[in-house]
Amino acid sequence: MGATFYLQLAIAGLAVGAVYALVAVAIVIPYKASGVLNFGQGELATMGAYAAFVLASFQLPYGVAFALVLLGGAVFGMVIERLLIRPIANAPAFTLVIATFAIGLAIKSAVSVRWGDTVFSVEGPFGDDPLLFAGLRANPTSLWIVFCTVAVTALLTLFFRYARTGMAMRAVALNPEAATLMGIRVHATYRWAWAISAAIGALAGLLVAPVVGVNPEVGQLILRGLVAAVLGGFTSIAGAVVGGFAVGLIETFASVAVGSTFKNLVPFIVLLLLLAFRPYGLFGTREVHRV
Amino acid sequence: MKRLLLWAASAYLVLTATAASAQTASVATDQILIGAFGPISGPAAFLGLAGRDGAALAFKEINALGGVNGRKIQMQFEDDAHSPVRALAAVKKLVEQDKVFMLMSVGGSNATAGTIGYVKERGTPMYVSIASAPEVTYPFARNLFRGATTEAARYGEVYAEFLASHYKAKRIVLMTSRDEYSRNEGDATVTKLKAWFSIEPESRLEFNNGDKDFTSQLIAAQRANPDVIAVFGSPPEAAIALKQARDLGLKQPIFVGSAIVDQGVIAASKGAAEGVKGFALIPMLPGSKHPDMQKWEAAWRREYPNARAGRPSIFDALAYADAYVVVEGLRRAGPQPTPESFIRGLEGLQNYRVGPVASPRSFTAKHHIGNLTLSPVEVRDGNWEPVQWSSTHPTEILKRYK
Repeated sequence: MGATFYLQLAIAGLAVGAVYALVAVAIVIPYKASGVLNFGQGELATMGAYAAFVLASFQLPYGVAFALVLLGGAVFGMVIERLLIRPIANAPAFTLVIATFAIGLAIKSAVSVRWGDTVFSVEGPFGDDPLLFAGLRANPTSLWIVFCTVAVTALLTLFFRYARTGMAMRAVALNPEAATLMGIRVHATYRWAWAISAAIGALAGLLVAPVVGVNPEVGQLILRGLVAAVLGGFTSIAGAVVGGFAVGLIETFASVAVGSTFKNLVPFIVLLLLLAFRPYGLFGTREVHRV
Repeated sequence: MKRLLLWAASAYLVLTATAASAQTASVATDQILIGAFGPISGPAAFLGLAGRDGAALAFKEINALGGVNGRKIQMQFEDDAHSPVRALAAVKKLVEQDKVFMLMSVGGSNATAGTIGYVKERGTPMYVSIASAPEVTYPFARNLFRGATTEAARYGEVYAEFLASHYKAKRIVLMTSRDEYSRNEGDATVTKLKAWFSIEPESRLEFNNGDKDFTSQLIAAQRANPDVIAVFGSPPEAAIALKQARDLGLKQPIFVGSAIVDQGVIAASKGAAEGVKGFALIPMLPGSKHPDMQKWEAAWRREYPNARAGRPSIFDALAYADAYVVVEGLRRAGPQPTPESFIRGLEGLQNYRVGPVASPRSFTAKHHIGNLTLSPVEVRDGNWEPVQWSSTHPTEILKRYK
């Protein structure tokens, strides 16, 4: 098999991995900020996909739909944090996990009731004609997904490093009590964390909709997103992105190496092997507590 | 000894009377309770939702005309989520708790196969509309019937003949989903390609229900340089695969299994389905401009005015037709239907069909395969249109029942 074959596979793997990366980042942000693992994150992507479908039916330009989905996702994230998460913030971690799971189920049920399980299609921003270069072919929407993932990662890195809210979120993640004493409004940072996370989740749905269609099962992405997040270390944005791309590439190449039957298993095996040697993932660090 | 015999006889009478009362509990003076199941959640919900709605429409029409032998039909529906375990639980509930008169499966093979052992053991009549799992009809069980969907072995016969004679293919690549239905279709096709035409497929590539990327399979298929690629799976996955095949520049014609022959796959694949061929279980598909189908679709839309894109689907039409077949069996069972008289009623059907939108059903006391007819179709201008081709190779699937 020639280089073209492997490069073509790599393009496919990166395209799939970019979506996993976005979902992983969306999982990591609220976990980092508030310690809540959002099992409803996949359904936030589902919501983004349906939002894209609805907005497309109004013939809105892609750019406007893109902005509205991001904004809608952010507002929805804030609403979730304020109405559903904050009232039970002090409950055991397991209760919070179940609550986020319930949020996901509610979203999935709502779209199923409204639209059923029919697969709808949404136009991508650059049409369906594949791009050809050096004997390789790529769907322009897939390249757009990769670009958006890289752009989101860069923006988040800048946000956490230089923006006041971003720095506040890092401080709260490190030590909420100390952050409070320093005058940081902890609840506001939690709200921002959920807003950013939900916006990215919705963005993942919007981006993936032209490629895989719009149906209530879009949220299945959460499983790969979780693997990517754990692979990356669970508290690192860069780790989540690397993990996402890695899972996409592993899955795609595994389907050639071991067949499609076992390809879904391979990322989990890789994860288990990695955790055996690096229990904190690729970019995670051991938590040290002063005693 | 006499006392022992008396006790045994009494016990037998009590047990048979209890069993009889349990069997007929679902037949009240004014209604007959039918237990139906299929997936209305999960990735295969397109099957169960359509199956449920199609059957419900038929029962509503029948009830509006007075029901069957003076009784109205009531359908109790359970979700099996396309899982054999959930399907078995649903069937147990319907039989033991709801005490339905008969069962109707409008789900997939994977889930339906999980119920077969229990249903055989209980003896409750079960009419399988959509699933093609071989164990429904072989080994033969008197209480199991297959309706719209034909035998996996029959698919294999017709597909193999079509691939070899219509496409004149020598090099064939199969892409099959790992679900029961698609595997059965693939297995049967491979068997007949080898046996009848001495064609060994170049490769057989698998994928999973719910997969979103088929690049590796499509590249592998492309590299095998086949004359045709045969895809067996479900519409959601097929729509993605067809789009990706176009993106990757695959030039080979694509043939699809009957489960993919659905209007939904055309809508979801955005033009990438043009030229795709397959086989339909009914003479015309929803979306057809034929007046009979237009009339049926109008009736369906009156019942479900908020229809979503892709509905009614072929599965609505299949379950609709099979609901009428079931009722015809009940009508022939007479005013006091029992499982036995219902089975005999169905076994008396010869080329019965509710109208031009359905294929005919025939059952005998030797086999319960209702439909052996498959019609070739092709996507042209966004619709499944008939292809001029008919099978000439004699079928072999009824041999094993003689």
